[in-house]
Amino acid sequence: MNRRLLASLVGIMLVAAVAVGLTVGAGNTPSLGLDLQGGASITLQPEGEYDAPSLDVAVEIIRSRVDAIGVAEPEIIRQGDTVVINLPGVKDQQRALDLVGRTGDLQLRPVLQSGTIDPTAGQGATTVPTATTVPTATTVPTATTVPGEGGPGESRGPRPMVDTTLPTDTTLPTDTTLPAGATAVPIDAAPPTELPAGAEVLLGRDGAGYLVGPVAATGLVFENNASANIQGANWSVVVQLRGGAAGADLWNALTARCYSRDNSCPTAQIAIVLDGEVISAPVVQEAIFTGGEVQITGDFTEQEARDLAKILEFGAVPVKFAVSQVQTVSPTLGTDSLRAALISGLVGLALVFLLMLAYYRFVAVIVFVGLAVSIGIQFSIITYLSKTNGLALSLAGIAGIIVSIGIAVDSYIVFFERLKDELSSGRTLRNSAQRSFEGAWRTVLAADTVSFLAAAVLWWLTVGSVRGFAFFLGLATLADVMIVWFFTRPAMLLLARSKFMVNRSMLGIKPPKITEGTS
Amino acid sequence: MTISGAFGRLYRGETTVDYYGKRRPAFIVSGVFMLVTVLVLIIGGLNLGIDFRGGVAWEAPATATLDADAVRGVLEANGIETANAKLQTLQGASGERIRVQVGDQTDAIRAAVQTALAEQAGIEVQEVDVAAVSSSWGRSITIKAIRALLVFFVLVSLYIAWRFEWKMALAAIAAMAHDVLVSVGIYAMFRFEVTPATVVAFLTILGYSLYDTVVVFDKVRENIDRFATSRMSMGNIVNVSSNQVLARSLNTTLSSALPVVSLLVVGAVILGATSLRAFAIALLVGMLTGTYSSIFIATPLFAIFKNREQKYAGVASQVAQGAEMAALYEHTTTRAAQKAAADSQAAGESSVAKNTSTSALTHPPRPRKRRRR
Repeated sequence: MNRRLLASLVGIMLVAAVAVGLTVGAGNTPSLGLDLQGGASITLQPEGEYDAPSLDVAVEIIRSRVDAIGVAEPEIIRQGDTVVINLPGVKDQQRALDLVGRTGDLQLRPVLQSGTIDPTAGQGATTVPTATTVPTATTVPTATTVPGEGGPGESRGPRPMVDTTLPTDTTLPTDTTLPAGATAVPIDAAPPTELPAGAEVLLGRDGAGYLVGPVAATGLVFENNASANIQGANWSVVVQLRGGAAGADLWNALTARCYSRDNSCPTAQIAIVLDGEVISAPVVQEAIFTGGEVQITGDFTEQEARDLAKILEFGAVPVKFAVSQVQTVSPTLGTDSLRAALISGLVGLALVFLLMLAYYRFVAVIVFVGLAVSIGIQFSIITYLSKTNGLALSLAGIAGIIVSIGIAVDSYIVFFERLKDELSSGRTLRNSAQRSFEGAWRTVLAADTVSFLAAAVLWWLTVGSVRGFAFFLGLATLADVMIVWFFTRPAMLLLARSKFMVNRSMLGIKPPKITEGTS
Repeated sequence: MTISGAFGRLYRGETTVDYYGKRRPAFIVSGVFMLVTVLVLIIGGLNLGIDFRGGVAWEAPATATLDADAVRGVLEANGIETANAKLQTLQGASGERIRVQVGDQTDAIRAAVQTALAEQAGIEVQEVDVAAVSSSWGRSITIKAIRALLVFFVLVSLYIAWRFEWKMALAAIAAMAHDVLVSVGIYAMFRFEVTPATVVAFLTILGYSLYDTVVVFDKVRENIDRFATSRMSMGNIVNVSSNQVLARSLNTTLSSALPVVSLLVVGAVILGATSLRAFAIALLVGMLTGTYSSIFIATPLFAIFKNREQKYAGVASQVAQGAEMAALYEHTTTRAAQKAAADSQAAGESSVAKNTSTSALTHPPRPRKRRRR
């Protein structure tokens, strides 16, 4: 019995020591929430129709965008349907909002005409491509890739693989005014043929201007599995079509139109438009993409191919979000709060120690060591979770921890008060310790269950800071139960049985004079 | 070590306060408090922060060029009505800060005001804190919090009903409602701003209140078992229980309140972290009422419920006082209690004391055996 108690006591202290040792040794500290280190926080809420997988995709897209700007330790959390994005250290709130707030509409539009925009000319004349290499879109299995063509040296040559019907000297009507740099200016004068409604001139990423028809499909026709591959010397992007009416059918209707070069798609090119910018405009090589896969080849660098793949994969956020909360905290305010919380936590802890020492005398040592073990274990868990799961310690979390000091100490008080009762009814210390622990354990378990219930309900049903608080409260409650069983129990029982306690008064109650009980 | 006086009695768990007898004044005081709360809520309502109403708040360090009037000027320059703007000056560790809150604004205006305030103060744009919450979001988190609260109430009632009994669940919920109402009332009366931190604080108060109540009820149940075979009145049982846990209740309240007081004094007042102040105030108030309600509301209420039962109805009026009450405690070996028991037995006046000495399950400690296990 004694040996088992000792094993438990030494075990838990060892666990705490090793955990803290490993944590500190690895130089890990819990990552701090926004309110403690400053930065921007944005809360998004989905609007309209959405389902869980599309939310996941949306969060992925936002994550990749945030990663792309290189924020240190961004925190992107889904709380139910709500998405919380914490960008520590980000000072420019507007930039952060632009980054995550836009839906990133990926559109597929037939190209009516394309050309370069001369930003210096006031009457921006759109001419037919002079320096464009046009990628092509093909079904994968067919080997219709463009070997060598479309390379940098071919800039002035005819577009690869296309029987160009558009004469190279065709220019847009001169009365088409196109302000330099405009990305979405409706053509106010009709080109030779009647323009369909919804036609726009958009700037391409390559600097060319494109006159595009109305949106024929969105990025939703593609599966989220685009990849960039190298074939020979060329990079290409492969993406799978989604099945059904909203996927392959829509895409094939568009490509059939373009392949036959009908009026709505005379160039046979499909513009891939993201946020009003033409990312790429491949020429369609096939009427129907039977294989269910689309390959886009062309004069891509590796980076371009990867970007295009990413855009096809994640370009359009499948969920429309409303920005429901924006917050920036300046670094000074954050540091102030952290300092205040830490100092007041330590002062509070010291006061509790003094109170325990004054009230329970030397037995308070057990409270000290127990709290130290408990704090050590919790610190390690928090640090571990913050490293692996991106848990951040916020102000509300610190409040939860400070509150949990009270809960932890209460377990000792319940125990000691019972022990006092037992002792004053004349039982031996050894006997009293055992009996009072049993009673106290029941009480602690009941009270901690209620506390944990509260934490769990809060965690499930709320968002934001309340949720952070609930997490730390729940953790502290579990730690309390663990410490009472694995530390306080063996510590007190062993102390009660030790030689040290013979004829020594505990909690102000002298051991009963051994007169009648020895026989 | 000798401890004497009131503190000594408290330390030894020998206080003999008739909480049950004082239930009426306690109920009246609490009733008045709750009535006032309800009135204040009806008249003025709570001072809800932007997180619940929706709106924009900017906060910037006050500089020579940035004072309340300057802030108003900036707002007006951006076409924002200043009549309803809430301007606050906060004392912080790093000097004064000015905080201004207005209703919902567009992104552009929000950014423009931030820049303008920074320019006015002559500081970096990032030093101006901005918080914006859409009003629909505010509504939804309020609804979420209330829903969480209701689920919590139901679960806790079920748990207590299962672990103890349903009358205790009823009393515990009543005490909990009392605590929250009193804390909310103080917020409403002093027009403290309700922020998410406040909600956290209120929920903590619920937790504490319940925790306290569960500890007392655990003792009550223990005493009910102990007096199961005797005709002991509920008043006596709750009095004995409350007195037995009094030292624990006070101690726990003190040790829980100390970190919070330190949060309030060190954190909020000395270091000036204003975000902590309201939180600490709510917590402190809640903790004190939590301790109070577990002893003065929950337990007497439970006794009243219980007195309707056949077993307790007959003896409902018998409530031991003073030394007689002490005689009912488990440790009848203490001098005061022994003396009281002897006195009352000699006088032959009290049936209560006799009951315990003959039929209560207080067996004397077993003689110590030489070898155990």
